[in-house]
Amino acid sequence: MFRTALLSAMLALAGYAAAAWLTHDFQVWTAEGARRLEVALQPVPSPAVEVDGPGTAPQALSLVLADGQSVTLVDFVYTRCQTVCLAMGSSFQQMQRALQERGGKVKLLSISFDGGHDTPDVLRAYATRLSADPALWQFVRARDLQGTQRLLADFQVVVVPDGRGDFEHNAAFLVIDQQGRLVRIFDYAEQQLALDYAQHLAGAAAPSP
Amino acid sequence: MKAIKMPAVPSRGAMAGTALALLCLLAWPGVRHNLEASMTRHMLLQYPLLMLAGYLFAAALPGRWRARLGLWNAHGISGLFAVALMLAVLMIPRVLDLALVDGRIEVLKYLALLACGAAIHLSWQAAGLLVQGFFLGNALPMMAVVGNLYESSPLRVCNAYLLDDQARLGQMLVWISAAIAAAWFAWLVRALMQRDAAALSGDAAAATEPTAH
Repeated sequence: MFRTALLSAMLALAGYAAAAWLTHDFQVWTAEGARRLEVALQPVPSPAVEVDGPGTAPQALSLVLADGQSVTLVDFVYTRCQTVCLAMGSSFQQMQRALQERGGKVKLLSISFDGGHDTPDVLRAYATRLSADPALWQFVRARDLQGTQRLLADFQVVVVPDGRGDFEHNAAFLVIDQQGRLVRIFDYAEQQLALDYAQHLAGAAAPSP
Repeated sequence: MKAIKMPAVPSRGAMAGTALALLCLLAWPGVRHNLEASMTRHMLLQYPLLMLAGYLFAAALPGRWRARLGLWNAHGISGLFAVALMLAVLMIPRVLDLALVDGRIEVLKYLALLACGAAIHLSWQAAGLLVQGFFLGNALPMMAVVGNLYESSPLRVCNAYLLDDQARLGQMLVWISAAIAAAWFAWLVRALMQRDAAALSGDAAAATEPTAH
């Protein structure tokens, strides 16, 4: 009986340790929660992936993101999307309006993970449809499938085909700092927070007189 | 307690062979990907099948080993406690996502589920009604609560799975936990009735010492 009690106590400790590790000390229960927490604790450098898009000649994503001056808000989209991306698109439209009014060194970037379909021309039409201001809001895609996969893997974006021709994905606003590092992820319901955070980050690096 | 009538008919070798074949099948990449492509199949087919393989492995253990393990598992307490703990951890949504992208987690998940099945085999009979009831009283409500969360969450708890899949899994977890509870309760009533009947007939036949179960 003593041995049973001892083993049970050890099992309880092991179970606690496993659960604590999995949930980052009982803070997160989902992979998405863990992803957001891990990014906040440890920024992720932008992957070495070649991208292009309307107004963006083929170049490394890090060059697009790390201009040393502005903070970038990134979302992942595909132009055939009928659901979440539409909401994100309208969020970016609102953010664009706010940025046009307030100014500040924040840019918007929509990255398509459907690069096979979303060629620069398709993206240009999409941008026009959303009345994107090219000075503030760019659209790019990775130029090949490996690039897309690398990009999704590094930023932990999981895309699941839903069997009806659409994709489900963990949509969010990604805040990329001036050095091109992913520093924070906000839920797509937290649009204002994401924008405020990005503006704060941009202001902190280059305080306006 | 009345066990299954022919305990020795499938030989230990056959049990081990079946368990090994089942494990190989479940570890086969094609089968694994298919089962893991859906959240429902992942949790409601792959999990129980791995537990079944573990259960068969334990059934193939020589009696000597089982006796030795039994020293650490009085009344099946540590075994069933381990099962409750492992299932609780394995039902954390992050595990499902991690298992898909991290091979180490996947291996640990397989091992834990095999261990669950083995522990159930090694502990269930020894546990008796009281410990069994305590174990189920913990594990089944946990399963139902998890199921209810999955079913009612407006958000996807796993990045790799779709919302309707998750809701279906949640619903089925609730139903399965209820079904296991009902089945165990029916079995409990039957066992108690048989025990009473045996005690009565024992008293009537001869007023010798009552047999303890």
